[in-house]
Amino acid sequence: MSLERPKDRDSAGVQRHSADEIADLLGDLVIGREEHINAPGYVIPPDAVQETLSLLKNEAGFDHLSCVTAEERADRYESIYHLKKFDDATQEVSVVVPTAKDNPVSQSAEPVFRTADWHEREAYDLVGIDYEGHPDLRRILLPDTWQGHPLSMDYDQERPQVVSLREGANPLQEDHRDDQDSETMYLNIGPHHPATHGVLHLKATLDGEQVADVDPDIGYLHRCEEQMCQNGTYRYQIMPYPDRWDYISAGLLNEWAYARAAEDLADIEVPEYAQVIRTMGAELCRIAAHMLAVATFALDVYGDFTAIFMYGIREREKVQNILEDLTGQRLMFNYFRLGGVVWDLPEPRDEFFDKTRDFLEELPEALEEFHDLITGNEILQARTIGTGVLPPEVAKSYGATGPVLRGSGVDYDLRRDDPYGYYENLDWDVCVEDGCDNFSRLLVRMNEVEESAKIIEQCVDILEDWPEDERNIQANVPRTLRPDDDTEIYRAVEGAKGELGIYIRADGTEKPARFKIRSPCFSNLQTLPEMSNGEYVPDMVASLGSLDIVLGEVDR
Amino acid sequence: MTPLQQGPILLPERIANLIGLGDGLLGQVVGGLIAAFLIANIMLAMTAVAGPWAKRKITAAFTDRIAVNRIGPFGLFIIIADAVRLLSKELIVPEGVDRPAWDLAPIILPASALLGFAVIPMGSGIQLADPETGLVFAFAVASIASLSLVMGGYASNNKYSLMGGLRAVAQNIAYEIPLIVTAASVVIFTGTLQMSEIVAVQREALISITPALTIPQWFAFVNPFAFVLFLVANMAEVGRNPFDIPEAPTEIVAGYQTEYSSVYFVLFYLGEFLHIFLGGALIATLFLGGPAAPIAALEVIPGFVWFLIKIWAVFLLTQWARSAIPRVRIDQLLDIGWKGMLVLSFANLVLTAIIVGVIV
Repeated sequence: MSLERPKDRDSAGVQRHSADEIADLLGDLVIGREEHINAPGYVIPPDAVQETLSLLKNEAGFDHLSCVTAEERADRYESIYHLKKFDDATQEVSVVVPTAKDNPVSQSAEPVFRTADWHEREAYDLVGIDYEGHPDLRRILLPDTWQGHPLSMDYDQERPQVVSLREGANPLQEDHRDDQDSETMYLNIGPHHPATHGVLHLKATLDGEQVADVDPDIGYLHRCEEQMCQNGTYRYQIMPYPDRWDYISAGLLNEWAYARAAEDLADIEVPEYAQVIRTMGAELCRIAAHMLAVATFALDVYGDFTAIFMYGIREREKVQNILEDLTGQRLMFNYFRLGGVVWDLPEPRDEFFDKTRDFLEELPEALEEFHDLITGNEILQARTIGTGVLPPEVAKSYGATGPVLRGSGVDYDLRRDDPYGYYENLDWDVCVEDGCDNFSRLLVRMNEVEESAKIIEQCVDILEDWPEDERNIQANVPRTLRPDDDTEIYRAVEGAKGELGIYIRADGTEKPARFKIRSPCFSNLQTLPEMSNGEYVPDMVASLGSLDIVLGEVDR
Repeated sequence: MTPLQQGPILLPERIANLIGLGDGLLGQVVGGLIAAFLIANIMLAMTAVAGPWAKRKITAAFTDRIAVNRIGPFGLFIIIADAVRLLSKELIVPEGVDRPAWDLAPIILPASALLGFAVIPMGSGIQLADPETGLVFAFAVASIASLSLVMGGYASNNKYSLMGGLRAVAQNIAYEIPLIVTAASVVIFTGTLQMSEIVAVQREALISITPALTIPQWFAFVNPFAFVLFLVANMAEVGRNPFDIPEAPTEIVAGYQTEYSSVYFVLFYLGEFLHIFLGGALIATLFLGGPAAPIAALEVIPGFVWFLIKIWAVFLLTQWARSAIPRVRIDQLLDIGWKGMLVLSFANLVLTAIIVGVIV
């Protein structure tokens, strides 16, 4: 049983470092210690970032830069590097890099972790910290013409930022036709293009039909989600927002990310019954999300709204009906509450269980049909096997997670490695494929649907037998939550696309002082150039489809 | 049909006789024009049914949907609604397009396909012309389509269009050679390029059980290998899945037709469907006995109906492929064309030549 493995590995292989051992390892680099709820924090000077992270990566095995949080405090700027291990996600370390108010310059972590590239660009864009040695420090979410950094303290929210088209650089305007000597062709793929799954702009340089370089340009769907969460109260006002990040029916998975972080922050114990319902709902969402991922991937490779797309949508529809019965909503569920869920299973319960079981019964047949149509098809295999290759080390360095990472042969799933909910008590497996290509990522998703079905089935059995007088759906949580001043937490769950993390810093009020979202799609999308450079345009489109990004979550 | 010594009476002649103009030049011209008008309209009407209605219904059946069913019986009036919609749209001419070429491309595509139908024997005496080089003529005019695609792609001043146009040319060259070489193997059997003769040869019996239950000598039965080769090459020729890469909606938006709207778009669309039907007509003529019934007992059904059934069967096949088969990549497509299809088609040609030389 795979769930036992992290514990085995702990005793057998992965060394667990105590906080003091790490402090010894870092030696003089540490100028202070902090205690975050999830991990020990080490304060280091801004010119020692690379050295510290290299030490932690190479000597202590912290090879996963999960997230970079930047924030402005009363007297300083701060970049926090949240590190984990791919071999053991429960081992975490926070590296805190304070920089001076008048000169917020900090060393870039990009040479050590390539994922820091985009994360630091975002930090620069929204908070205004300069990263020295960063290869390409420009705005990422906001337009180039934006004035100021919206999450910094002196930013005037009232000031209008109207920039006419003439003032701003129009990325589509540049005329490359007169460049007679050039061997390559510059092509704007998106923001409106059938294959970009939303508003993504790929600046592609083509050499004939092959991709010489591609630079994803994101931010078209930026909706200030972090800021909105900072303006909401913990208890009720934040929970509806996660539904809107990854809106491809992965809502409950996203809600769980916030619920987990906030519950650990405020020390709330969730009743077991609610955990089972949460687990079931989350896995239903995962099936719905993966179905759409498989369907749209097929759409990208097949090139038309074909049978397989409609079959995928058909199965997803059944899941959505069940979720509608459970939560009352089809897309923006808002079903979780801190300390549990908002209401119990729908009455009559038997009907709900029957409906869910019917769906699970029909699912293997539908998946069989999918395998016949997609994975068994020679042309699809010729198109996807060996294309969009993402070697495991590269994937790790970019902080790729979820099916993308597992398709590269890295056995990393937070549901098992950093257990939450009711997953520990259930019998299921983590799906890993080591082909590292588009086909592997497709297989991982299809296999995960089967595993999710297994989880749901067990949850339904458990819920059916649950004694009627012990159905406690919510813990007793105060109406207004005020976590202690200056407590910080970073917690992640396994979302549909990968590791969905939330960083919250409390300041003693009923609203978070800093709310940072670590979006799996954001990190996953960074690997696109790595996967598609040198390949054909159709393969780049297939790779993009296999990453399964949702722009709502990339841009937040 | 009552075949004479000189071959069957063609449609223009019949019309000329019918309206009493006789065999003279005037009769030939007027009869020819009316016949051409009739055949073109039959084909256009078929395309009108196929494009807005049949395609939707067929795809819907493959993908578990219902498709158009609100306007008229079986949603058939959607054809009129679509025609009004498409024709009333604004024709947007992008800046910097290469004007004469950009305007000509959408006209050439359907025209080339319509020309091809001139030599196809459609049964019930419907054939516009029957030159001795009929087969060559059909392939020659059908090939003009590539010109239209590259013109449209190049003149559109759009990189996606350009890529689509270049893909179309690369694809058509790679598949036209196997297509024609495979057709040549049929010619070796028949010893003629004349369409009516090719059909006539296939009327002979392959296996005869009773006079009513005779399986004719269709080349699909005589040489199924060539038939399959031709079907596949034809799929690439008309640019349908798995070979729809000149359009490739998810990669290069709509390929060569990206910048076309309104009437020009309709013309492109029309041209594509006409080409599918022309492909079907060639397959029917070369391999499925033209307008002949499969067994003698079924000859009560007119030849023209059989002909339509056959080309719609080919159309159905393309739609099936479209719904179920992924698209290959451009380099894979060229590999299949040059390394696979070309070799196989020549092997087929040589084998056929040997067999015909030894046996016949």
